[in-house]
Amino acid sequence: MASVSAFELPRGGFCFDNCRRNGMLGAELAKHGAKLPKARKTGTTIAGLIFKDGVVLGADTRATEDTIVADKNCQKIHFIAPNIYCCGAGTAADTEITTQMISSNLELHSLSTGRKARVATACCMLKQMLFRYQGHIGASLVLGGVDISGPSLYSIHPHGSTDKLPFVTLGSGSLAAMAVFEDRYKINMEEEEAKALVRDAIASGIFNDLGSGSNIDICVITRDKIDYLRPYEEANKKGDRKGNYRNKAGTATILSEKIKPISFDILEETVQTMDTS
Amino acid sequence: MSIMSYNGGAVLAMRGKNCVAIGGDLRFGVQAQMVSSSFEKVFSMGDHLYIGMAGLASDVQTVHERLKFRLNLYELREGRSIKPNTFMSMVSNLLYERRFGPYYIDPVIAGLDPITFKPFICSLDLIGCPMVTEDFVVSGTCAEQMFGMCETLWEPDLEPEELFEAISQALLSAVNRDALSGSGAVIHLIEKDKVTTRVLKTRLD
Amino acid sequence: RLAILPSIIRGDWQSHTQCTNPGSIQTPLHHSSSSQTVKKVIEINPYLLGTMAGGAADCMYWERVLSKHCRIYELRNKERISVAAASKLLANMVYQYKGMGLSMGTMICGWDKRGPGLYYVNEEGTRLSGGMFAVGSGSTYAYGVLDSNHRPDMTPEEAYDLGRRAICHATHRDAYSGGVVNLYHMQQSGWIKVSQNDVSELQYKFREGN
Repeated sequence: MASVSAFELPRGGFCFDNCRRNGMLGAELAKHGAKLPKARKTGTTIAGLIFKDGVVLGADTRATEDTIVADKNCQKIHFIAPNIYCCGAGTAADTEITTQMISSNLELHSLSTGRKARVATACCMLKQMLFRYQGHIGASLVLGGVDISGPSLYSIHPHGSTDKLPFVTLGSGSLAAMAVFEDRYKINMEEEEAKALVRDAIASGIFNDLGSGSNIDICVITRDKIDYLRPYEEANKKGDRKGNYRNKAGTATILSEKIKPISFDILEETVQTMDTS
Repeated sequence: MSIMSYNGGAVLAMRGKNCVAIGGDLRFGVQAQMVSSSFEKVFSMGDHLYIGMAGLASDVQTVHERLKFRLNLYELREGRSIKPNTFMSMVSNLLYERRFGPYYIDPVIAGLDPITFKPFICSLDLIGCPMVTEDFVVSGTCAEQMFGMCETLWEPDLEPEELFEAISQALLSAVNRDALSGSGAVIHLIEKDKVTTRVLKTRLD
Repeated sequence: RLAILPSIIRGDWQSHTQCTNPGSIQTPLHHSSSSQTVKKVIEINPYLLGTMAGGAADCMYWERVLSKHCRIYELRNKERISVAAASKLLANMVYQYKGMGLSMGTMICGWDKRGPGLYYVNEEGTRLSGGMFAVGSGSTYAYGVLDSNHRPDMTPEEAYDLGRRAICHATHRDAYSGGVVNLYHMQQSGWIKVSQNDVSELQYKFREGN
């Protein structure tokens, strides 16, 4: 039952109050040949590979809404646990919230077991959640990390299927990125070589796929350190603007003005005196 | 015709040096018909915190009420003002709860941190995907026009009055190229010690 | 001389026109977000004006063809074409293309032996004679103003003001109307252009109560 009042505590979990209304709106719109708006999807290139000592994850930083670039520098490599990170492609909100949710569940899990989280556990939690929602949560993920069993890398699809592979790419630029990986991937690469390969894979997504763009973010996870490089490289530098289009104060006509002063409480004030003599 | 452009409207926010500005138009229409020219879409959520919402007007009002309720509970429980970033998560949670039956709105948040006064702006999509930026955020039926205007008028570290002029011109020019928004505009300029609210003169056609 | 006040507005995606005719005035106006200054009154000849609403290209083209026919009529018959005949030429022309996708809502206004004349012609071939019309997406709003303020004994100045107000208030309510009001007065000696006003400036003026 849809509630009459806005004053209702969140109950946790999804809420389907608006579904009936939205269904009716959708049917009405369909008569006019229109559709209900869709959530923001990110055209994306994300990639990851396993090298000698760990995992390298890479992502571009463009978020799109249809053909508009909504964000030129968004973060697509999400934190899961101190030793696990996850790249997301697909519906932006789904990747964001799914990773947040798994991150918090994983933290609770490692607190109760008293052990460091394992990548396989994170993967299992993600796939179980995505499978439960039968693909309606549109998150495609590249999950990577280093745990007790060494480095591991997974790709997770919206319906809940997973792959455990030495190198993976996902998103609209995945074909371009995979071409680079297929060409140059070797087992037991050195860190610098691995970073350069991921960089090149993401760059090929950025330059060849219109849905991907802007900068390259890279996250290197090894047993003893995390290198979150954001940006690793600015693939597209904006030219310098010589002038400016600043308007003189008073250009816009103001009909009325109201100033609300905000008083603040000074909790503490210290005046340090100096000997200036 | 899309539900997002059924009522029309535009909202944008910009970041300046130790200040932020947020503004929106005042039109409330039903497709081509202008019904009211005093429909505010930008709401105060605290001393230094504002949220603007473009999209379906009924959802703008519902979400505003629900948010205000959750915010009041939060501040009662915590006994302090909310940080803009936390407020963003609150909005995101509210919208994502309705992932499969969303509210048709695109919110924009602008504010200063209650302790450090660090400027903050962000926007969310209709199911609550947060996007924090360093420059400007836009939403509404003339989002494309606003993007274009902001891209040229915005620059880093604008002083409050310069920021006001930039956001005003961006909004006015964008709104003049959109049939579904306009009919007046309001800008809130948020600084550490005051919030200046100005009603702008716009075309009325 | 202030017998009729025909007024018109029409605009779909881009047009608005109004024409008032107290002893014959024409007020057209325009709008559209693509341009704020499209001329929605087409000057067919010194004694005939046509307004534009619907497809801009259709209106412009067919009214240009109409002006050619009117000129040929004049040369053949050594006298000016009547408004009735001119509007019928247009209606007959577009009728040939009925159902083929033309979009045109127009008012043809002029002065002939019978005095001032005003006709409404659209792409379906409908042709109506009348004292007052409004055409376009904002026409209902304009009719509201016209119907409540029109008197048969208006002076030209009063009629000008009413025409401007009708357009102005229509542009205010209708999202797809706006820009400027072009006001024409059709007299026995031909049309004169009375004024061109930015509707936004007029609206602020009207708000102050004058």
